[in-house]
Amino acid sequence: MSNIQTLLSAFDAIAKNPKKQLDDYISQGKKAIGCFPYYVPEELVYASGMVPFGVWGKTGGKINLAKEYFAAFYCTIAQLNLEMGLDGTLDGLSGVIAPSICDTLRPFTQNFRVACPDIPFMFLAHPQNRKKEYGVKFTEQQYNKIKIKLEEISGIKITNDNLNEAIKIYNENRKARRRFIELAGQYPHIITATSRSVVLKSAFFMLKDEHTKMLNELNGLIEASPIEPWKGKKVVTSGIVLDSPSLLKIFDDNQLAIVADDMAHESRAIRVDVQENTNHPMQALAEQFGNQDYDTLLYDPELNKRPGYLVEKVKKSQADGVVIMIMQFCDPEEIEFPSLKKGLEEAGIPYIKIGMDQQMTNFGQAQTSLQAFADVLSTL
Amino acid sequence: MSEIFTMGIDVGSTSSKCIILKNGKEIVSKSMIPVGAGTSGPRRVVEAVLRESKLSIEDLSYILATGYGRHMMDWVHSEMSELSCHAKAAYFLYPNVRTVIDIGGQDAKVLRISPQGMLTNFAMNDKCAAGTGRFLDVMARVIEVEVDDLGVLSAQSTNVINISSTCTVFAESEVISQLAQNTHINDIVRGIHRSVAGRVAGLAKRVGVEDDVVMTGGVAKNNGVVVALEEELYKKIHVSPLAQYAGALGAALYAFDKRES
Repeated sequence: MSNIQTLLSAFDAIAKNPKKQLDDYISQGKKAIGCFPYYVPEELVYASGMVPFGVWGKTGGKINLAKEYFAAFYCTIAQLNLEMGLDGTLDGLSGVIAPSICDTLRPFTQNFRVACPDIPFMFLAHPQNRKKEYGVKFTEQQYNKIKIKLEEISGIKITNDNLNEAIKIYNENRKARRRFIELAGQYPHIITATSRSVVLKSAFFMLKDEHTKMLNELNGLIEASPIEPWKGKKVVTSGIVLDSPSLLKIFDDNQLAIVADDMAHESRAIRVDVQENTNHPMQALAEQFGNQDYDTLLYDPELNKRPGYLVEKVKKSQADGVVIMIMQFCDPEEIEFPSLKKGLEEAGIPYIKIGMDQQMTNFGQAQTSLQAFADVLSTL
Repeated sequence: MSEIFTMGIDVGSTSSKCIILKNGKEIVSKSMIPVGAGTSGPRRVVEAVLRESKLSIEDLSYILATGYGRHMMDWVHSEMSELSCHAKAAYFLYPNVRTVIDIGGQDAKVLRISPQGMLTNFAMNDKCAAGTGRFLDVMARVIEVEVDDLGVLSAQSTNVINISSTCTVFAESEVISQLAQNTHINDIVRGIHRSVAGRVAGLAKRVGVEDDVVMTGGVAKNNGVVVALEEELYKKIHVSPLAQYAGALGAALYAFDKRES
């Protein structure tokens, strides 16, 4: 039986080498579809017999070829996604699904389509008004367009049966990941910030039934371990992606345990399940997007619900503070920050803001900030 | 009571500073070498304070490193972030301090201090060098003056001009344009200081500014920046002659606290 470290090593190997994972699936005769951020209905890809493969930039990557298409002050996730399309990293994918949910991703989708004409391209327009009936209908129409393309690529019809089966598998995986996030908060002496990240990141590069199997085994082993008092401090992270090993090591070195998160790449991606076993699984998928909330990028008719949501997350997880990771040149995050700041200050919750981009490999300034933040938390 | 000596070493991005403290109160020796992390600076600055104090490493109860290059000092007892050390030193020098503005060679920080002298909140600049000592170095080179002369030059300015505080590269272009228009050097220097002050004031307002305000770090030696910041924040800013040594002083004070742990 695998022990915790063996399983963590296996997740680590997958998270650190997605290209090998992709090549392995292709060598097994499978086709893979690249899924750019955010809210791609991966269940459709799974139901069509293909592997949904997450493409969320490349931490520590270098932008060279993509410079021809973007200004320097452009989100590095988008730039690195295009870079990987241009430099051959994405070769082997049978297609990509590109949502356009923010003003940066929208031009990205068009640049990618032009720059990488050999990769079959599926444009996905999510509606801003996603909750009303017309919004759900629009989402469903968009998903149907994707469905037709996927069927062309795979040669497999997406039926109610195989889509319901995919939904069930994805709900199980979301549940396992949510449980893991809870356990990571309760067992920081076992699950470091670094290992927490690789477990969650690896899900983007694995068939979800395979990931769920490994993760349920890991969760079981963690649950069977004794809980020990944590001598360090507990934080909630907020932002898009936090998967740099160098940056996560700083959390671990300063005994800052991540007990909950508000990261797009982590909790935000798995918060909402899809209704199972319905006669209208496509509508259920569209309704799932309609039920998404509390995201920097999603239209909020009530305005400013996110600060309260983050404050509640801190209270529920009994965290000592919040680390807000701002992706350089991300307008939605920069615009949202003052409201988060105000909400946290009013609730008396300490926080720090750290700027980063995916090209960074040296985090000297973040190291100073996090070390000082740990000092601040220890004196409160 | 026998005398207790502790050492604080601040390995900055552009300079190395070191202080030996007696009984957590009295500065026995201090030194500064104008090269920092990854150079001979840290070794030379330690040698200098030991030579001046006539002490050896064995005489020191505790040695603590801080600053950008603190992690390279693997022979010291422990290390702490420079934010904590600047807060500690500012409180030691000015017990009524509530806000510290620290502008160093590569970054700018604003610290909030509790009445008990604890660091309670802070903000740091982002990756851009605008609003830091590096910004002043670049600008001084463009206008062909010494960095140490900037304060005197801006005091003689008679006109206010604006220089971008958005980024160092934009600002450099603006300065070149001003030179091409025959704008007086003194006015350009004042504009540069106002640019730094605008950037740092934005950081300060993010964490809130409360009296007393103390400025630390190497840029505090430049009175032009201090004056521009006072104008920007509408606050009196206190600057100690030890401003550049604040990191090392805080480290030596923490070393005294930690010597028995």
